[in-house]
Amino acid sequence: MLGLLGEQGSEFAHKVDFANDVVTIISVICTVAIVGAMLYFAVIYRQRDGKDHETPMIEGNNTLEVIWTVFPTLVCIWVAWLGYDAFVDLRSPPADAMEINVTGRKWAWDFQYKNGKKTTSELVVPVDQPVKLIMTSKDVLHSFFVPVMRTKMDVIPGRYTYEWFKPIKTGDFQVFCTEYCGNEHSKMLARLKVLPKAEFERWLADDSEERKLAALKPSDLGKELYAGKQCISCHSLDGTPRVGPSWLKAFGKEGELADGTKYKMDENYIRESILNPQAKTVKGYPAMGMPSYQGQLSDDEITGIVEFIKTLDGSQKVEVEAVAPKKSAAAAGATPVERGKALVHDTGNLCITCHSLDGSKLVGPSFKGLWGRKEKLSDGSEVVVDAAYIKESIWKPAAKIVEGYGPVMPAMYEGKLTDENLNDIIEYLKTLQ
Amino acid sequence: MSAHTETAHGNEELNYLNWKTGIWSWLSSTDHKRICFLYLFAIMIFFIGGGIAALIMRTELAFSGAQIIKDPHTYNVLFTMHGVFMIFLFVVPGIPATLGNFLIPLMIGAKDVAFPRLNLFSFYVYVIGALIGGYAMLNPVDTGWTFYAPYSTTTDTSVSLMVFAAFILGFSSILTGLNFIVTIHQLRAPGMTWMRLPVFIWASYATAVIQTVATPVVGMTLLLVIAERMFGAGIFDPSKGGDPVLMEHLFWFYSHPVVYIMVLPAFGVVGEIIPVFSRKPLFGYKMVVISSMAIAAVGFIVWAHHMFVAGISDFSAKFFSIITFLVAIPTAIKVFNWVSTMYKGSISFKTPMLYAMAFVFLFMVAGTTGIYLAMLGVDVYYHDTYFVVAHFHYTIQGGAVIGLIAALHFWFPKMTGKMYNETASKAAFAILFFGFNLTFIPQFILGMDGMPRRYYDYPAQYQTLHTISTIGAYLNGFGYTFALINLLWTAKFGKVKAPRNPYNSVSLEWQTQSPPVHENFTEIPVVDQDPYHYGTPNHKHA
Amino acid sequence: MSNAAIVDHNVPPGEPPIIHHMDSHTAYGAAKLGMWLFLATEVLLFAVMFCSFAIMRYYHLAEFHDASHHLNLWAGALNTAILLFSSYTAAVAVTKAQQGDNAAVVKNFGISVFCGFLFLIVKTYEYTGKAHHGMFPFVWNSNFYEYKNFLGIYYCMTGLHALHVIIGMIVMTIYGIIPATKNRFSGKYYTPVELGALYWHLVDLIWIYLFPLLYLVG
Repeated sequence: MLGLLGEQGSEFAHKVDFANDVVTIISVICTVAIVGAMLYFAVIYRQRDGKDHETPMIEGNNTLEVIWTVFPTLVCIWVAWLGYDAFVDLRSPPADAMEINVTGRKWAWDFQYKNGKKTTSELVVPVDQPVKLIMTSKDVLHSFFVPVMRTKMDVIPGRYTYEWFKPIKTGDFQVFCTEYCGNEHSKMLARLKVLPKAEFERWLADDSEERKLAALKPSDLGKELYAGKQCISCHSLDGTPRVGPSWLKAFGKEGELADGTKYKMDENYIRESILNPQAKTVKGYPAMGMPSYQGQLSDDEITGIVEFIKTLDGSQKVEVEAVAPKKSAAAAGATPVERGKALVHDTGNLCITCHSLDGSKLVGPSFKGLWGRKEKLSDGSEVVVDAAYIKESIWKPAAKIVEGYGPVMPAMYEGKLTDENLNDIIEYLKTLQ
Repeated sequence: MSAHTETAHGNEELNYLNWKTGIWSWLSSTDHKRICFLYLFAIMIFFIGGGIAALIMRTELAFSGAQIIKDPHTYNVLFTMHGVFMIFLFVVPGIPATLGNFLIPLMIGAKDVAFPRLNLFSFYVYVIGALIGGYAMLNPVDTGWTFYAPYSTTTDTSVSLMVFAAFILGFSSILTGLNFIVTIHQLRAPGMTWMRLPVFIWASYATAVIQTVATPVVGMTLLLVIAERMFGAGIFDPSKGGDPVLMEHLFWFYSHPVVYIMVLPAFGVVGEIIPVFSRKPLFGYKMVVISSMAIAAVGFIVWAHHMFVAGISDFSAKFFSIITFLVAIPTAIKVFNWVSTMYKGSISFKTPMLYAMAFVFLFMVAGTTGIYLAMLGVDVYYHDTYFVVAHFHYTIQGGAVIGLIAALHFWFPKMTGKMYNETASKAAFAILFFGFNLTFIPQFILGMDGMPRRYYDYPAQYQTLHTISTIGAYLNGFGYTFALINLLWTAKFGKVKAPRNPYNSVSLEWQTQSPPVHENFTEIPVVDQDPYHYGTPNHKHA
Repeated sequence: MSNAAIVDHNVPPGEPPIIHHMDSHTAYGAAKLGMWLFLATEVLLFAVMFCSFAIMRYYHLAEFHDASHHLNLWAGALNTAILLFSSYTAAVAVTKAQQGDNAAVVKNFGISVFCGFLFLIVKTYEYTGKAHHGMFPFVWNSNFYEYKNFLGIYYCMTGLHALHVIIGMIVMTIYGIIPATKNRFSGKYYTPVELGALYWHLVDLIWIYLFPLLYLVG
């Protein structure tokens, strides 16, 4: 009714929302009434010219006391019932609900389906089908909150808890961890993907990815991830420095960090740099260059990458083909500018990793004032930054590079962003003057 | 109220502030009025510290992404310290240890509390607890003030030291509560029957009962956390066969009543201010008294409304939800009685009255948003989101802290013998009130949008509301600074002398000189009226 | 008025002290109420552990049964007898104080304190025995690891109780025995003896619950 809690994604969401609406209306009325009465009395009974006036010695009124005890009690009974009614639904999964196992751990969510399929940070479910999550934790308390479904339940180590919902629309929705669990609590997010039934069945049955990866030895898995997770965009295998250091002969290397201290590229350093890249940046490379893969790689996958790096000792040439990246998540926002802004800020797209919004020079030109600017290119010619130039720079970054910048922008957007995405981005860039 | 008091023999200027001077006379004083100032000085340090932590966090949260705090651990430490400082070191001692200490003997016609040396001892126990907590800051804790296991039993920050500090601070609270209960029972002046006690005394009494009964529970719980960390006893940690939800139950068994320790005295303060500035008796005195005691009692059996999604049974959830509504009703009754006191009054708007009126608004918001959280299906959504953060800041800051500031302004003339500048205090009030609402109303909306709490960073769509909230926080902080500096400056350098009873109150503490002599009364008064004897009896209603 | 005069004990033997803001009758009532309130907080303190014990036992019933058999039943029973007797002598001390028989106060409180010592000795014997077998914090032996839940709560409860025994002994000595040697008490003033004995009764009472729960029921 009032739409205070946003989009309703589950069948029982409307009950929660109705209860919320009722209590909101009652609260507003009561607060306005009481505060209004107080202000009214304050005004009409105020002392004029600082002069005290006679007042009646009224000590109380039993009738009033009864009225304003009974009436709030009745209201409370009503809203208590509304809350209870919604709660009963929230706690009553139907017998035919599809069960999915959820494990919370510091700091990611793992999901396992009955057929053995596993995912991390992404829960895929079919629309119009009740889903029951059987949940536990590997370490400390976490909590699985899906705002659009209106459900939440803590996950406890050594025990199972459950929550359930029946999605009524398809789409991508946010999942938060809502029980403080340490450093990366605010990054312990997940995506709930609701698919049409048929597409979900296909997805569930598709274990080709898993079988392939499971059969790989760690270094081969690392090689797959190098392309699949876009490490290739910023780290070369042939010694050329790009946005980040090359991986050739990198393992075991010692060098200097940005703050002057020494580092040694061992297993721990690699792992830390994957999960918390800003911790130890190598000197000479942009400080905010690398996005974090927190929650996106399992421990086995990280081991795979480490093993792959170890193989790059220069004894043989290793070449990897870039992989068409997964499509970007549906950008949120009603207007093109809002959608464009979300796309630019999405860490998965890497835009603000290299382009600042405040005019400062990072790896690439700042977006501030970019639209309509005249830029000098590396080959001496000039170009005005218009829609055509921006689109070309996104699809084919190496085509027209601005003077003073390197040819390091990854060519990873074909297939990841649609033309509509680019139009939205352009609309957003226009606002950054 | 006929109170027979005389000025001090001979020199009228002699009072509890100046009859003995020197820092040692203050640090070793068992005078409840001086102990009030010892506590006031100490708790203000932690109010400022906790406030700075809040402003740093709000600066970081003003925009999405990292701003001035470069790593999440620092943020986690900051929100822990903000909670620990504000709750254990500022608001829980809060009104009771300061205004309670100052006023209780004066209001009941006694020369001091029942155990004056225990009173001073309680202060030093607080100091020791604060020092241990300070020492724990060398490896500052990052568990949140709730210390949930197993995170608190496994993290390698100084949890044991910090919870031990909280244990010691709890002792201070217990001993103060014990002292006040005995004082109110045993030391009332002749004629001061229970039903002639000011509501501030009733509120302090209810608070003291909660302090005495609830605090040992959390004290023991914290000791068990230490035992688990140091000796490997497996009580809360499931990897050792323990139960983390047990820790939550034991923790909240105290920590729900503690919010009533924090807010009941503020209710008492408001109940004292409004009659004075309306020149009318407190409406429904008996109901106000009963509701204070009811809140204290029922407050003990609602704790698991903090745990609806913690894995408790559905039956437990339903039980605790119903009882929680029960505790909301007495609070509403109080508000209705306060507003009714103003009906046909003769109302003046001095600073204390402005704070009291603001309290009515702020507590309506606090109380009604509490109803949301008592509703089961709705709480599932709001639990651990910014909605809860906004709710408890309205109850604690909008309730308890506003009550403290109101009390400091109201009884300032009595405590210092000086009058502060009304224009300055009103300006500070306006900035503070506006800033507070600007800080937390956006946070209700953030909660409705699903924004979780204790988040160092957040998705970009929440940014605008965060930015507004941060601006409010700065105004809020500035308002408090302005208000407190005004009082501090006046106390030290103010020239305007206060009359004995500037607001014409009929309550007993205003019948002695301002500031009072060391023994409060040269002759114990005999009481023959209630403390709200304002207005004309049998006045014809228009 | 200096702080030292808050409670002025410089009075003839048997007279109540002069308190600057209360008459002696009010002071006696205040002291008793204060002590009962304090005892209530002690009960709540231990209640938390009894509650935790109940819950842990519910989850680990078999372990608790087994582990409790490893406790020395005779030591526990002996300690129970010692404390019960010492409570009796403490009660006698109160009566004697009311009668002004200070020598008997010294004797009876002295016996109670001595019983406290005996209790602690038996406890030490129990604890060192356990340490020898590796059933003690810091020297956990993997043989008994599975009893950790029971032993954890056992040591917390008996350890905290032993601490209260020590406190009770100190209170009876400083506020009971030493003033009694100076003939402090009489029918008009025996408050410290009464309060000290009350505290000791609580210490005893807690043990009365601890012993069956830990040693018998298991």
